[in-house]
Amino acid sequence: MLRVSDLALGYDAEPVVEGVSLEVSAGQFVSLVGPSGSGKTSILRAINGLLTPRSGQIELNGTRQSLGFLFQDDALLPWRTARENVALGLRIRRVSKNAALVEADDWLARLGLEGFGARYPHELSGGQRKRVAIAQVLALKPKLLLMDEPFASLDAIVRTRITQELLTWVEREHLSVLLVTHDLEEALTVSDIVYLLSQGPRARIRTSYPVPIPRPRDIFASRKDPAFTPLLERLWQDMFEEVSAPPAEIAR
Amino acid sequence: MKLHVENLWLRRSLSLLVLALLWEILSRAGIIDPFYAPAPSEILRVVFSLFAEGTILNHLEATFTAALSGLVIGLAIGILLGFAAALMPLLADVLEPVMMLLNAIPRVILAPLFVIWLGIELSSKIALAVVLVAVLIFFAVYSGIKDVNQLFVERVWTLGGGRMTLLREVYIPSVTAWVLSSLKVAVGFAFTGAVVGEFVAATRGLGYLLQFAQSTYNAALTLGLIFLIMSFVLLLFVCAELIEHRLLRWRYRGAKEKAAWQSAEKGV
Repeated sequence: MLRVSDLALGYDAEPVVEGVSLEVSAGQFVSLVGPSGSGKTSILRAINGLLTPRSGQIELNGTRQSLGFLFQDDALLPWRTARENVALGLRIRRVSKNAALVEADDWLARLGLEGFGARYPHELSGGQRKRVAIAQVLALKPKLLLMDEPFASLDAIVRTRITQELLTWVEREHLSVLLVTHDLEEALTVSDIVYLLSQGPRARIRTSYPVPIPRPRDIFASRKDPAFTPLLERLWQDMFEEVSAPPAEIAR
Repeated sequence: MKLHVENLWLRRSLSLLVLALLWEILSRAGIIDPFYAPAPSEILRVVFSLFAEGTILNHLEATFTAALSGLVIGLAIGILLGFAAALMPLLADVLEPVMMLLNAIPRVILAPLFVIWLGIELSSKIALAVVLVAVLIFFAVYSGIKDVNQLFVERVWTLGGGRMTLLREVYIPSVTAWVLSSLKVAVGFAFTGAVVGEFVAATRGLGYLLQFAQSTYNAALTLGLIFLIMSFVLLLFVCAELIEHRLLRWRYRGAKEKAAWQSAEKGV
């Protein structure tokens, strides 16, 4: 579905990542974790075309239209109602206004927001806004979802609920996902494979961790799987080593 | 909350009434010299007589025509130049310093120049109002576009939107909010341009009448005209606010309820 080979990214003279290679197969849930500033978000932005790579290749099985991007911030247009926000992507894809609004209502209902379509984003709670953002992306029927810590700003209960709902949806629809997260436990509970980035600048993929927990998954039951704790300990250990290691720039 | 707002308006009206009453008493008692500050009743009498005799209508028409034409043309030029400068960096390099200079100087000093160029009729007053409004709106639009939340731009872009979608869905709504927020100030500026232009040289208009009142040491007429101009500007302020609330209903809808809910949550 997605193959990133030898990717190098940077801002002005500052290198961010170098030689990053990773792969997301069809229907696979992949997470990218790493220390702050290691360039996780930059990698997602490059895949989505928001950042031009310095070198390397990003091969996508499909067009840009097959990508869905869930931002850290819900990024809903404040002057559009919930249903208009959801309909926006469909309208961009030339769906007629009425059909787009009907489909938007349908998606809002599927995400538990029936009756909230006429509300503006500021009239919704954080969790409801996030659901609208999810509806906006899923309505476009993406093949690959890119998610940049989409639920970081939510409280624990809402976050857990939405994560489970999205996980169930992804499994049912066989979507491919590349998730960027700081939360190592979350990464292990939802992913088939977790990539750990090294400390930046010039961050690289340090290790990848296949997660042998069977699907469909429940985010609580996954934590009780015998494979979970040893993997989490290993991931933490490696992350600690990365955080306490001198930056690559200095080490060279 | 409703009670609080009503109280606020009541308090404001009462304060004004008390002030006017005090002024009336002091003026009638001879403590305030009516030559410099005539009693409010005398000012109102002058205003009413202006309307009763119908002499004011010709002047009102001149001032309103100049102010409203200046407002509309100034808005159009400001929006157009603001958009053009924000979208074309080369043009911005030329326009920004000119606009900054125009913004830095008290623009009413251009009034005599416009009289020389355009004569003492309406066009010189409109020109001054246009300059006053256009500079204000230019910066509202220019900064509005430059400060557009990049998250919205990226959101629309990742949904597949191009330049036209960005313009329609992000830039225009974002800039509309900035322009409408400046509309009330623009109304005041348009009237300033019209009245100051008439004050400098004119054959009619409220500014011309003010100039006449000043030259004849007629304080009652001067204060009456000031009262009239303030009333009309206030009226247009209310209209501007209504337009703002109508066009930016996404910003205001539910805001009161949300504020009340947040206050209740905090136990205020």
